[in-house]
Amino acid sequence: MKYAFYPGCSSQSTAKEYENSVKAISEVLDIELVEVPGWNCCGAIDAVYSFKPLYSIALAARNLAIAEKMQMDLTTPCSACYFTLSKTNSILKEDSEKKTKVNEALQTAGLSYNGGVKVRHFADVIFSDIGLQKIKEKVKAPLTALKVASYYGCFLVRPSSICSFDNPEHPTHLDDLAETLGASPVDYYGKTRCCGASLGFTDEDIMLKMSKEILLSAKNAGADCMATACPLCHFNLDARQKDIESHFNIRIDLPVLHFTQLMGLAFGIEPKQLGLNRNCVSPNNISPLAVARASNKT
Amino acid sequence: MLHEKKKFDTVTKTIQATPHQGSRKDFLREVMKLPGGEKILECIQCGSCAGGCPTRFAMDYSPMQIIKMINLGMKKEVLSSSTIWICSTCYTCSSRCPRDVGFATLMMALKNKAIQENMVKNPINSKFHRYFFEVVNKYGKLHEPSLFLKLLDKTDINGLRSNLGLGLRLLKKGKLEMRAKKIEQTSILSAMLEKTDERGTS
Repeated sequence: MKYAFYPGCSSQSTAKEYENSVKAISEVLDIELVEVPGWNCCGAIDAVYSFKPLYSIALAARNLAIAEKMQMDLTTPCSACYFTLSKTNSILKEDSEKKTKVNEALQTAGLSYNGGVKVRHFADVIFSDIGLQKIKEKVKAPLTALKVASYYGCFLVRPSSICSFDNPEHPTHLDDLAETLGASPVDYYGKTRCCGASLGFTDEDIMLKMSKEILLSAKNAGADCMATACPLCHFNLDARQKDIESHFNIRIDLPVLHFTQLMGLAFGIEPKQLGLNRNCVSPNNISPLAVARASNKT
Repeated sequence: MLHEKKKFDTVTKTIQATPHQGSRKDFLREVMKLPGGEKILECIQCGSCAGGCPTRFAMDYSPMQIIKMINLGMKKEVLSSSTIWICSTCYTCSSRCPRDVGFATLMMALKNKAIQENMVKNPINSKFHRYFFEVVNKYGKLHEPSLFLKLLDKTDINGLRSNLGLGLRLLKKGKLEMRAKKIEQTSILSAMLEKTDERGTS
């Protein structure tokens, strides 16, 4: 299967390991990812949109216009990019005046967009196009006894008018995926609560509190680790976990993996190839890594 | 919880005591034209939005109150509220609203309106959006360190210390790219901006 691949800005900095693991598992599952040539920032609703609405839509539309020429579905592993690009599709469909203006802007870049690109989250591709059966066939090192708290957050499943491949309040696909990998899914309060998103930049205390509650509810439900499907959620829950610990004077120590890293481990891919050395909360103590290390020695 | 109840009662009393403002219908009409504002008259004040809101604890007015205030024409209070900035657009409210009011989408539009009408309560909030735009418009992509440095309050010693910790942590993990990667055709960005620029936002 072949897709136009939109990596998103964080793939080049704070979430390099996410992209590494996406590419590593794609190889195993025969998914061909063709990067959208010359892609730019997705348009970042709500960050850019709130300041320059039409410019934000034009930025998104430029990516979509390039992808339209590729004649494939577009997939991105970032939930925020997924939302922005999908939302742009729906805005341009409903508002012909905006569509005309945006196309005038695109003309300056020698492009035009007709609205024909289907935008898919990478988790949707894995779940709906590849399917659990094929994934099961590729599992070489089942994550037996690992308790995984899958974290859906917001834009992967909401708003359901745009991000519609699972239930907005009780999604299950990441849990089903974890089970297929041999792990035990953990049910917990925080799985669709917001991590605080970009409030970390402006109102840090609020973000720290929101992410703390998610982490603690997963930990208290007995999770050995969490699995995310968005680089910003991952940043708040993993890279900022130490800040949460010191802000509230508590100990959490809960590894947070990108769901693709978890898949990679079950497929028997080297931890380093999945970028696990880049995760801030060390995942070394969770069992599949121990299993992977043991099997490497033999 | 008692504290919450007290806060709610006080705000409700303020709203009830506020006479319909002269330009009530004007503001309501303006909001109804914004994305997310179309169905604002459908609100039945059931409170599902406020009940599910994960950032309600930090807002001055709850989502449900903001909708009521828009209906009452309380433009100044709405546009200078902290609510519109603290909303993280998680869409929990929109998912639960039985009347299909697009609250989260409306919050993005109200942020823009508050910037245009110069009514932003806390400057850091609009700065974030301005700087985010500036970085993206310069490189074509988000370069996190540039955004971070622009936002950093150089007079806040404690803040600097904790941010230094985060910075070093990211650096150690190879997650900080100090040099921004630009897209090849950065010239198209300003051309696109010119074509899409809206009144009073630059």
